Amino acid sequence: MNNVIEIKNLMKNYHTKEGEIEAIKDINLEINKGEIISLVGPSGCGKSTILSIIAGLDKDYFGNIIKNKDLKIAYMLQSDALFPWLTIYENAILGLKISNELTKENILYVDNLLKTYNLYDFKDKYPKSLSGGMKQRVALIRTLALKPDLLLLDEPFCALDQQSRLLISDDVYKIIKKEKKTVILVTHNIEEAIIFSDKVIVLSKRPTEIKKIIPIDIKNKEDVYIRRKDENYNTYFDLIWKDLDKNE
Amino acid sequence: MSNKQKEFLKKEKRKKQLIFFFQILLVILFLSLWELLVNYEILNGFIYSSPSRIFKTITNLIQNNNFFIHIYVTLKEIFISFILGITLGFITALILYEFKMLAKIIDPFLTMLNSLPKVALGPLIIIICGANVKSIILMTLLINLITSILSIYNGFLNTDEYKIKLLKSMNASNLQILTKLVIPSSYQTIITSLKLNISLTLIGVIMGEFLVSKQGIGYLIVYGKQVFNLDLVMSGIVILAIISFILYKFIVILENKLLKHI
Repeated sequence: MNNVIEIKNLMKNYHTKEGEIEAIKDINLEINKGEIISLVGPSGCGKSTILSIIAGLDKDYFGNIIKNKDLKIAYMLQSDALFPWLTIYENAILGLKISNELTKENILYVDNLLKTYNLYDFKDKYPKSLSGGMKQRVALIRTLALKPDLLLLDEPFCALDQQSRLLISDDVYKIIKKEKKTVILVTHNIEEAIIFSDKVIVLSKRPTEIKKIIPIDIKNKEDVYIRRKDENYNTYFDLIWKDLDKNE
Repeated sequence: MSNKQKEFLKKEKRKKQLIFFFQILLVILFLSLWELLVNYEILNGFIYSSPSRIFKTITNLIQNNNFFIHIYVTLKEIFISFILGITLGFITALILYEFKMLAKIIDPFLTMLNSLPKVALGPLIIIICGANVKSIILMTLLINLITSILSIYNGFLNTDEYKIKLLKSMNASNLQILTKLVIPSSYQTIITSLKLNISLTLIGVIMGEFLVSKQGIGYLIVYGKQVFNLDLVMSGIVILAIISFILYKFIVILENKLLKHI
């Protein structure tokens, strides 16, 4: 099977005291192995809800999510989701500890990740003493430690300033590509969507449906700076911008 | 280290010393002014006592062997009520957190109990428990427990939603979410409620001792009042002030240890 996950006729309604709100109308999506796709759309359009449903955190929906039974999904959230009372190392192995997978092999894997991404010297320090970028890398290692088949990134850089954002997205992109991960990225940043993805999915405002799927055909797959300089970058930007519902 | 840095550190150190110096100076000034005013009979020493009289009273108490018994009794009551209050408060808060429905049901009753002046229950407690230590501890628990429950529960409620989501995505059990996230992220609130708890415990214990005791610092103060020995009353107050200061310091040390990295 080449696709990691398939979403069929996904629909979701919210129930509030004021009434029923149609949140997601009809989403059909297929994600192939090793692919990075982005979901972009106006704020409040239910991007994060889709991730929650894929991750199995939200079970209140209609439709089918077709995936392999033992497909491992890992979630990465905004930058400050490290636990301040744990050391960097303890943070990195948190997921393994929770799921009782603290085997020798896995510990070695985490050690290697920490070494590869220049964090090993800081493993006994606490998050407070790390820069924003380093914290983000630790969060990514914590996610990778679980050896997920599918990585869900929910606005992973939105708490950062512009400079850190550029540096860290470069880091994260390289790591994802090197570890050959399949990724769904949720963002409201068009630039981020283009430089990360193989495919950008433009979502409409609520009730959410897919407005357009834009394949991003940039040859370079290693460096976000080079990807940003691609001759087609502006064309992609305009395409996405044109289809994006504006909140007015 | 550069000279500028050295200079900066020196300055910071000097600032600290200066603050400490003025604090000591303030105490000395206050005590000598008090002593002098009484000495020159501007203040009536019989009512206002004086540092030297207090000192003499405390030495007398120590020589008569009573002093440490009173302190021991009061400290024991404080210790028991404090530990009970914080433990029961913690456990109740956990139960409320796990069963939010229950929390909603008892919310108005907790609020009512919280704002009720607990001294009003004093006579009732004495009749139920008798004029003994049990009454004092129950009285104190009524005063410190509700506040502990409410503040720790609120701390639990303030746990970062994102982090809960993160743990859930790792398939964490409810117990794991509690022990790995909800409790550790509430350290700050728990420490704050310890601080609040210690002063409420002192209030409760002394109030209890006023009502029923035969020993303890509260008893010393009441007894001093009854025989019009105001030196004794003042000595009791001074001892209490010192005890509460020391207990508070203990919690600050605990705080620095627990919250070092946060």
